[in-house]
Amino acid sequence: MKRRRFLNLLLTILGLTAVGSFVYPLVRFLAPAGGKAEAKQITLKKSEIPVGTAKEIPLNNTPAIIINRPDKGFVALSRVCTHLGCLVEYDKIRNRLICPCHGALFDLEGNVVSGPPPKPLPKFPIKVESESILIG
Amino acid sequence: MWGKIKNWLEIRIGLDGLMKTHLTEYRVPKNINILYTLGFVALVFFSIQVITGFFLLVYYIPYSEMAFKSVQDIMGTVPYGWLFRQMHVVGSSLMVVVVLFHAIAVFFMGGYKKPRELTWIVGTFMLLITITFCLSGYLLPWSQLSYWATTIATTLPTAFPYAGEIVAKLMKGSEQVSGITLNRFFALHVMLLPLIISVLVGLHIFLVRRIGISSPPFGKSPEAEKPWTEYRHVSHPDGYSFFPDFVLKETIMVMVFCAVMFFFITFLPTLLLPEEANIPADPFKTPAHIKPEWYFLAPYQMLKIIPNKFLGISLQMIIVLLFILWPFLDTAEENNLLKRPRLRWLFFVSLILWMVFTIWGKYS
Repeated sequence: MKRRRFLNLLLTILGLTAVGSFVYPLVRFLAPAGGKAEAKQITLKKSEIPVGTAKEIPLNNTPAIIINRPDKGFVALSRVCTHLGCLVEYDKIRNRLICPCHGALFDLEGNVVSGPPPKPLPKFPIKVESESILIG
Repeated sequence: MWGKIKNWLEIRIGLDGLMKTHLTEYRVPKNINILYTLGFVALVFFSIQVITGFFLLVYYIPYSEMAFKSVQDIMGTVPYGWLFRQMHVVGSSLMVVVVLFHAIAVFFMGGYKKPRELTWIVGTFMLLITITFCLSGYLLPWSQLSYWATTIATTLPTAFPYAGEIVAKLMKGSEQVSGITLNRFFALHVMLLPLIISVLVGLHIFLVRRIGISSPPFGKSPEAEKPWTEYRHVSHPDGYSFFPDFVLKETIMVMVFCAVMFFFITFLPTLLLPEEANIPADPFKTPAHIKPEWYFLAPYQMLKIIPNKFLGISLQMIIVLLFILWPFLDTAEENNLLKRPRLRWLFFVSLILWMVFTIWGKYS
């Protein structure tokens, strides 16, 4: 191998090592801190949510909503719109969840009725007991 | 005294020669018009943003618990704090207006054509950086308006599977927009973006000076008509002097935009700072009927009517890419838009569509 070619090769290897050694810590530095928040359950009294009303709660740092549907009972959904992350609101009159940002409509199962969201609102497991509801 | 300073500088840097080469004997085309002053106006407005931004930094606290209060204090307690904040807010919108007008004027005059493709590309990147400036600065007051606008902006990349999620998390620094996001956007707004735009401004001016100012396509000089087979500087020997003739035109245009800025500050102070801008950020409540800033209304409305998120965002990215690479797509030699009916049609239809989407977005 000629001296010039060897030096070029050495420069490339050293350069790539330097860039790689910088980029990896940079990505780690900018990435969100690891470790997921511990899943917590929330207990609500049934009387807090009369039929046809809803209650907004934070569930493991995610804004959620518990709706007491007149026909199908309680359901717990994420309020984070699957389109661009705004929070949906319960519209009692239209019996829908509405996103104020881009006008998406979801039914009370979390399914997209109209608008641009690509998927339904995530559901949270709930356990309905005689006096209370366990969410999460 | 002035004569002594001038002489001192003359001996050291050859001031007279410098003034002649770059100002008094530097020529601009004889048929140049007022639209050619917009680049300078943009530079002046960038300077206004730097100066007022520095003043705001004196009182602003980039910490989520304090940011909103510090901005409210700037508006209500600090003497003339409202003036510098309003100049910064209105100035940012006017800077977008000026840079957009500049791009439209260059397009209309065919100034992007060979050999000025690089100048155009650098200019389009400056427009994108200007918008990124607005976006990153928007979060800093930590109001409802800023919080939810940033939530939407940082969720946009998730339209793209896998990489999009990573990019969104890198932007936010957490699952949702939080104090960590505020710190990131603050660092971006006051450190990285000014550095990038300064380099781009330098490169843009270098390219304009190196090639020479382009002539309007109406009544071009023979020098500009010659084919570009090798590098040459267009010196416009029969043109006007840059200083004082052209600088006077530029100063008039700067005054026009300054008058507009102070008119908005005095008579329409809440136009860019609606009610939601005075409510502290609440991560558990999206304000009803929230709208983005005027320059995002067209993309906002597009996202609203296109039923697929991936398609909506991809389409916008394609439009931006076409805009950046336009000099390579339009290689026809004729740069007079009036002699190119199809391009003229495309130009006006695009402008009208953009205006329609903006108005539709505002009232939808």
